[in-house]
Amino acid sequence: MIYFSELVNRRVYTQDQVEVGKVSDCIFLATDQPRITKVHIKDKDKNKFLVPIEYFIKINDSVLVQKNYQIVEQVENEISIVKNLLDKQIIDIGGNKVVRANDVIIQERPFFFVSGVDIGLVGVLRWFKLEKPLFSILRRLRIHWLPQILSWADIQPIELARGRVKLKIKETKLKKVRPEDLADHLEKTNIVNVKRILNILDEQFAAEVIGNLNINFQTALFRHMNPEKAAKIISLVEPDEAVDILLTVNKQKREQILQFISEENKKEIVYLLSLSKTPIGGLITSEYLLADSNLTVSEIISLLKKETKDFSYLSYVYFVNKQQQLVGVCNLHELLLQNPGTPAYRFMTQNVIVIHLTTPEEIALNKLLKYQLYALPVLDDNKFLLGIVTLDNVMDFMAEKLK
Amino acid sequence: MKQFGRYWKRALLFFTVFGPATITAMADNDAAGVATYSLAGANFGYSILFVILLATILLAITQEMGARIAVVTGKGLGDLIRERYGIVLSVVIFSFLMFANMGTIIANVSAIKTTAEMFKLPALPLLVAIVVLAFIFVSKGNYKTNQNIFLISGFFYIAYIFSAIKAAPDWGNALTSVIVPTNIHLSKEFIFGSIAVLGTTITPWGQFFIQSYVIDKNVSLDKLKFVQIETYIGAVLTDLFSFFMIVATAATLFAHNIALTSGEQAAMAIRPFAGPLASVLFGLGIFNAGFMGMVIVSLTTAYAFSEFFGTKGSLDVSFNREKIFYGIFLFQLITAAIIVTFPFISLFKIVFYTQSINAILLPFVFYFLLKITNNKELMGVYTNKSWYNWVAIFASFLIICASLFTIISYIL
Repeated sequence: MIYFSELVNRRVYTQDQVEVGKVSDCIFLATDQPRITKVHIKDKDKNKFLVPIEYFIKINDSVLVQKNYQIVEQVENEISIVKNLLDKQIIDIGGNKVVRANDVIIQERPFFFVSGVDIGLVGVLRWFKLEKPLFSILRRLRIHWLPQILSWADIQPIELARGRVKLKIKETKLKKVRPEDLADHLEKTNIVNVKRILNILDEQFAAEVIGNLNINFQTALFRHMNPEKAAKIISLVEPDEAVDILLTVNKQKREQILQFISEENKKEIVYLLSLSKTPIGGLITSEYLLADSNLTVSEIISLLKKETKDFSYLSYVYFVNKQQQLVGVCNLHELLLQNPGTPAYRFMTQNVIVIHLTTPEEIALNKLLKYQLYALPVLDDNKFLLGIVTLDNVMDFMAEKLK
Repeated sequence: MKQFGRYWKRALLFFTVFGPATITAMADNDAAGVATYSLAGANFGYSILFVILLATILLAITQEMGARIAVVTGKGLGDLIRERYGIVLSVVIFSFLMFANMGTIIANVSAIKTTAEMFKLPALPLLVAIVVLAFIFVSKGNYKTNQNIFLISGFFYIAYIFSAIKAAPDWGNALTSVIVPTNIHLSKEFIFGSIAVLGTTITPWGQFFIQSYVIDKNVSLDKLKFVQIETYIGAVLTDLFSFFMIVATAATLFAHNIALTSGEQAAMAIRPFAGPLASVLFGLGIFNAGFMGMVIVSLTTAYAFSEFFGTKGSLDVSFNREKIFYGIFLFQLITAAIIVTFPFISLFKIVFYTQSINAILLPFVFYFLLKITNNKELMGVYTNKSWYNWVAIFASFLIICASLFTIISYIL
């Protein structure tokens, strides 16, 4: 995640280090999945222009853009962070003033999107580069003060385009989210809401969204959906994902859904389903490291030294929230690259590729290869980590099978 | 008969919006204001009265712009600065405002204390009682009760009318001095005196307060006319009292060539000439002005910060639901009371810094005011008329020059 205050005024370079200008604003879609589509750049002569996000190679500590970038215009349904969201009054569903958007939180993965707004005092201090000094002092005093954040899930995107930042709820029901829980904002809205949202979204996109939801939610969703709609979405998801999802619903519903899937898609899915008799259970190991997502890099490293002394191998650190649910992951390289004082939620990958106890080995292997991972976390219905399955284990097992 | 009924209806409509502008204007005559007028009257006599006319016009124009913005946009000055100029500039402006307001509150609380001591009243218990009472009224009472308290407090300014009458002034001379510049000696002191009178009447907090307070009252757009009329009436009413303050000291102290070093002494100093009643009334007036200034200016900061953070910030919301708003209010009163009770910083320095910060803030405030009142997107058809704009720009220019003059002369 990156805060808008940290992104704004960053210099933008091309690959060959030619300065293009500075980031001045971001344009995003006023929808439930607020993808950032364009970046506003201001050059030395104060000219402002929009460059589509696709041309950006890196948006991080440094901002890199492809040499052959194009300049485009803002289109309908696109709104700006500076003009429509930042510093604006947030009102609740009854029109009462609640708070103001002090900063905007941008998530980099799986794509750039606005995941929430900072409504706390920390959000103000960040603009003056005082967040880090304050937090390091507080940490020394053993006070864990988290930014106060409002998830995108609580905001009405339609109202944004009309120039108002309106919540979906009453002020009294407003719950401030922890930064580590931001990525899952769809899951925080109730099932009915999600269904409504998915109906509006185009199917390809809906499929992507569903693929990212936790299994509990997927199950609930498919239980509510009619088989035809479910089938439509299933055929858009990668077969591995499809099987993983189908295995979460009961057999009868599964059969119903399969009826609506086209023959060619069905073949592969049915084949993969047949593999489900050999679930992953036996391959799980417990050589993993779990850490609280609020811990800083230095705290994580000392935890790692203490806890993993007798491990044979470790490639990832997994992060959990206060409810002990898996919320992020990072590999050791990413961990070492960070400053010692940075908390994990700032850099961890929130969109974790996971499997479940019902997942067949073949699918686990597919996922490992497809995403080029060394290990996959195995989650139960409550997003608790049961263990991990490593590439080594799965390979051994496969090799055994091939003999 | 029909005609008569329509007038009645209009008068009633007027009274539904009546309050904010008058209260803001009255509060401009806070203890610091009274002190400034007393000094000006004692040092320059009736000749300074001409400045009052100018101050009235400037106050009317600037307050009208503020009230109009509030009614049309439904947003406070704090809201608009934050939304249009971003967080970084806002933080700078709001910190300045907070410090300047704190200084003003300290000056007012100090005036209460000095007056109490002059009249041999127990100062400390009185201060504590006032702070506690003010907090209870503001946090427990709703908008309406508070507005009534402020209006009653504003009514007590008539004490100055009696003081002035008791001082037996030369009314004819006084009145002509308002309209026609009479006996003006353009000395450096006179210019400073004039600027001080302007500066105490037109303040950054006054601009913030009127907008927030109009919004808190929820005035609808169709009543804009009445609000505008009220701002003019408020400005005239306020400076009417300023007139009497100046007259009271001019007729006594200036006439007898008695120099005044601080404004609070005025209450005691006029005693030999205007009698004990006038003296007591004058003192009560300062006391009342101190109370009004202290509460209103604290409220201004509380409103401004609620607008900055986007919380409700309204007198109609209970303490439990709006802790920032009432918390800031109380914090300022307590801080002021402590600083006044244990004077580890010289009051003179506080007043000096307050004036300097206000002088720096004013140009920004007027820049924002003019920018906003000329913005079609925000104001629609209610933008400044072209001639009015020129008057407003000229007025702002005058005030800015005066404030810059003050800062520069302090530095030199």
